[in-house]
Amino acid sequence: MAANTDIFLFSEKPVLQAELISAAHTLTAQTGGQVIALVLGPRPDAELAFKQGAQQVFWLGELPPDRLVDDVVPTIAAAVQTHQPFGVLIGATVRGRAVAGRLSARLGVAALTDVLEFQWEKENLLARHMVFGGGAVRVDRPLTQPVIATIGSGIFDASTSLTETSDTIQSIDWVEPAWQAKLIERRARGGGSVNLAIAKRVVCLGRGVAQQEDLAMIEELAQILSAEVACTRPLAEGLGWLPRERYIGISGAMIKPDLYLGIGVSGQAQHTIGMSESRVVVAINKDRNAPLVAQSDYAIEGDLYQVVPALIRTLKARKGK
Amino acid sequence: MADDVFDAIVIGAGVAGSSAAYRLAKAGLQVVLIERGPFPGSKNLSGGVLYGRILHELIPNFWETAPVERAITNQVVSFLSADSSINLDFKTERFNQPPYNGFTVLRARFDRWLAEQAEAAGAMLVPGIKVDGVIKRDGKVVGVTADSEEMLARVVIAADGANSFIAQQAGLRDKIPTGHAGVGVKEVIGLPRDVIEERFHLTGNEGAAYNIVGYATRGVPGGGFLYTNLDSISVGLVIHLEELVERQLKPAEIFEDFLAHPMIAPLIKGGKMLEYGAHLVPEGGLKMMPPLAADGLLLVGDAAGLGVNNGFVVRGMDLAIGSALAAANTIIKAHKDNDFSAARLNAYPRRLARSFVLQDMHTYARAVDFMKNERLFGAYPELLANVLTDIYRQEALPKKNLVPTLLNNLKTSKISLFDLVKDVLAGGRAV
Amino acid sequence: MKIVVCAKLAPDASDIEVRSDGTISLERAEWRIGSFDLQAIEAAVRLRELNGGSVTALSVGPLRINNSKLRKDLLSRGPDELVLVADDKLLNADTSVTARVLAAAVQKIGGIDLVLTGEGSSDLYFQQAGLQLGELLEQPVFNAVSRIEAAGGSLNVERSLENETEVLDVPLPAVLAVTTDIHTPRLPNMKEILLASRKPVLEWTLEDLALADGEKQRVETVSLRAPHPVERKRILIEGSAEEAAEALTAYLSKEGVL
Ligand SMILES: Cc1cc2nc3c(=O)[nH]c(=O)nc-3n(C[C@H](O)[C@H](O)[C@H](O)COP(=O)(O)OP(=O)(O)OC[C@H]3O[C@@H](n4cnc5c(N)ncnc54)[C@H](O)[C@@H]3O)c2cc1C
Ligand SMILES: Cc1cc2nc3c(=O)[nH]c(=O)nc-3n(C[C@H](O)[C@H](O)[C@H](O)COP(=O)(O)OP(=O)(O)OC[C@H]3O[C@@H](n4cnc5c(N)ncnc54)[C@H](O)[C@@H]3O)c2cc1C
Ligand SMILES: Nc1ncnc2c1ncn2[C@@H]1O[C@H](COP(=O)(O)O)[C@@H](O)[C@H]1O
Repeated sequence: MAANTDIFLFSEKPVLQAELISAAHTLTAQTGGQVIALVLGPRPDAELAFKQGAQQVFWLGELPPDRLVDDVVPTIAAAVQTHQPFGVLIGATVRGRAVAGRLSARLGVAALTDVLEFQWEKENLLARHMVFGGGAVRVDRPLTQPVIATIGSGIFDASTSLTETSDTIQSIDWVEPAWQAKLIERRARGGGSVNLAIAKRVVCLGRGVAQQEDLAMIEELAQILSAEVACTRPLAEGLGWLPRERYIGISGAMIKPDLYLGIGVSGQAQHTIGMSESRVVVAINKDRNAPLVAQSDYAIEGDLYQVVPALIRTLKARKGK
Repeated sequence: MADDVFDAIVIGAGVAGSSAAYRLAKAGLQVVLIERGPFPGSKNLSGGVLYGRILHELIPNFWETAPVERAITNQVVSFLSADSSINLDFKTERFNQPPYNGFTVLRARFDRWLAEQAEAAGAMLVPGIKVDGVIKRDGKVVGVTADSEEMLARVVIAADGANSFIAQQAGLRDKIPTGHAGVGVKEVIGLPRDVIEERFHLTGNEGAAYNIVGYATRGVPGGGFLYTNLDSISVGLVIHLEELVERQLKPAEIFEDFLAHPMIAPLIKGGKMLEYGAHLVPEGGLKMMPPLAADGLLLVGDAAGLGVNNGFVVRGMDLAIGSALAAANTIIKAHKDNDFSAARLNAYPRRLARSFVLQDMHTYARAVDFMKNERLFGAYPELLANVLTDIYRQEALPKKNLVPTLLNNLKTSKISLFDLVKDVLAGGRAV
Repeated sequence: MKIVVCAKLAPDASDIEVRSDGTISLERAEWRIGSFDLQAIEAAVRLRELNGGSVTALSVGPLRINNSKLRKDLLSRGPDELVLVADDKLLNADTSVTARVLAAAVQKIGGIDLVLTGEGSSDLYFQQAGLQLGELLEQPVFNAVSRIEAAGGSLNVERSLENETEVLDVPLPAVLAVTTDIHTPRLPNMKEILLASRKPVLEWTLEDLALADGEKQRVETVSLRAPHPVERKRILIEGSAEEAAEALTAYLSKEGVL
């Protein structure tokens, strides 16, 4: 075992940070250490970490606008080397993955990616995650420490169990990276930032939706259901109709809403592992043999271009009453 | 190399194509072997028992390296009626020693292996490319095209199987008329090795091959088969297409019944379906054979309509290899004398006529018509079943002897004594 | 520009067989080029077509990756040569081992300006090996790269993040992991496939890379099983759109999710 039993966590996204903190608590419950949030950003973010349940906060300072989040790697590496935590949890965003990978290579340790669950086998930590595009579940035991793990949004719920904290934010010195890439520009991508993980209802569209214009129809439905709009990967990745953070699945967001409504979604494993824990699953598909139909509570066999408008009318009428 | 002219291009890496490519490459010719599947055999669910003598000529002791499943030592012919079966069981150790008689093979593995042998011999395998057609220059085939890409050769071999669009596009033949084709349905069912061996009373690499006629096809001319592989069973039907269409029966339905038949069901019980496929089988024998050679183009294997399917035997792979050999040898000679003229290539049909391939086709020629005789697939198995039932049924009454028993059943069956005699004679000549 | 493109050869996930005890078998699985590495190969080949230079495909794994089909498949997609590090010690290698072997191979090839990797391997899809490789080489490394343009001594690179796009100027040498939508991979034609069988293939072992002991694993796999599906009601609603909509609304209000 490492000298230290604390758990570090780092997320470029405050929402995800809350989930990492509760994940860290499940680990310290066993290791007996403290939950320590590494925060990069304005000081209020550092304070937020306490409210989210961190027991200590290491503030890495504010990132100058022309710098990259990736540049934080040497700084975190230094903190880890001096503090020797038991583990480092990192939010599985694109940048988070980069930080985790580079950190593990630097420290010569393993990185466990997209962890769905931690288990303990005596004092050995085990991590469960998907391989083969959702076709298999693998349980891995890290043989090195600190244990570096990335965790996606929606895996641990951000149940902020406020613990007594040292409330003193500890500043960490910035370590300049050996190399730097120049940031030329940052362009926001439409769709706005969401956290699907906490959405109670999700309307998910798939390639069954023929053209981008038709999103309007779906958004109207979502609005009536007060649901978030999500999609399958091809719509975000290939077609770029929605931002990447809105696609659900093994390489996207993991969700467990009360209602998942899949419209023109076939339901390939890579997608369904992202929503299989939804309470009620509904599929609208013209093909009754689509895999998602078999994995749904209610399935409407039909053309979404008829069913969705009908559904909008019915729900409106119902609201009317 | 865009304007390279190869000695030969072979279209299709089935058993015929790979055998031809192998032989040509061995003789030092520059040969390209083009296969539409991602790898040879990937699209191929057909085949089952390979009668191996001819492959042994091409690749001596092939069974030592080839992915063969089991050596066929039990050859069983079963007549099915709706609820009974009569088996003719032939088991011999003779078939279990070199050069063996036949092996079960799984084409996905076997075709791949055979193509690898061709590649090792120097043939250039081009997988994942579908040939669209041949290029003709003033009447002579000089190469092939695949999505607007051209490749030239001194001779082209069409080994593209039963449908052979290449032979059609080259004008050597039309689409197979339904009267001359059967549809093959096949399933591969996974079962543990030990289960198979005890179910079929096999030891080591012994294998069983069932050919099944009668109710198997609901009386439609054709036959069923069931072959044991190492840890799976190949089971299927080859059904005469015309009849099928006339009676408006779906192969899938017949196949379902077949698998559920009291004789078949227990043999495949508890198995897991691994593959399913349907495939066209040329069935018309000599009648439907197209001209086998044109200027610059030779047809081999199923593409040439070489196949025997008479309910008792389904054969094609060995004929495919045999024809490939004859074609390759013709080309090798043409190459030696540097003469690829039509006249020269026409030596191929003559070679083939001398080989076992066409001789067997002749032998079986009559069988094809004989097999179209409904009685054989419907009434007779029924009749036999009834006769045997009467003979074996234990009753208080004294047993009649066989003849009256038979005549009795014959009366109640729809068969006239005359038909019976006629068919027996015809059968004697055909099978 | 001298480019190495890393592509993993792995068993096809669609060929997985689930045993009765829930464990999975890959015995019958066909081994293929990772479907997300094809885009990396395409990106490498296009960079060469635009800026000259060479493309070396690099794959490491167990001995079985060294077969004519896979070699031809890789080379027919445009790389000039192929380096295979094939060694059965690498069967089930973890990501850190893989990254170390890749790094050693890249150094042995030598003089490389750019290493491209795919978004993730088709079997593990950890999206890690490229990043670890870059760090081991102590070179600039970025993931989720959706556009690459050569700009003098450096690269102009677009990076697709969750809800924004970063445009970066990345100094060379560098390592980039590309997204699956950077390019649509080309289908090899007859001539490329024929050419492929004439391109050089370098076959290295771990000994050749002075990694004889096969590098120590940092992760041990405890179990590998099929996921057990969640039980669902599976009620299929047919009929006209209106009827169906009515029915569904009724069900959903009963479920209390409206
Ligand atoms: C390693 C890997 C990772 C991946 N990660 C993810 C991931 O994280 N998330 C993800 O979603 N995918 C992922 N994918 C892709 C995934 O495999 C599928 O390709 C994808 O989920 C399919 O998206 P789809 O259902 O929208 O499209 P399709 O599979 O094309 O399904 C379209 C469906 O719409 C139906 N349809 C068409 N028209 C109509 C109509 N008019 N009315 C009603 N229904 C209609 C069709 O019947 C069909 O079922 C990944 C793939 C791999 C290999
Ligand atoms: C159900 C069934 C059971 C059978 N059982 C037996 C048996 O037990 N024993 C036996 O000996 N025979 C059996 N046969 C017959 C046997 O399968 C065939 O006779 C044999 O496969 C013929 O080999 P071939 O190489 O001529 O054609 P095929 O094996 O059909 O090979 C043709 C090849 O060409 C490729 N191809 C086709 N078109 C193109 C194109 N345009 N471009 C590139 N490539 C192309 C195909 O992908 C294929 O790989 C059976 C057939 C069926 C359908
Ligand atoms: N064994 C390997 N050989 C070559 N490249 C690999 C190998 N494993 C991973 N890679 C590369 O690293 C990327 C990420 O792999 P992974 O971290 O396993 O998802 C893949 O897309 C490949 O480009």
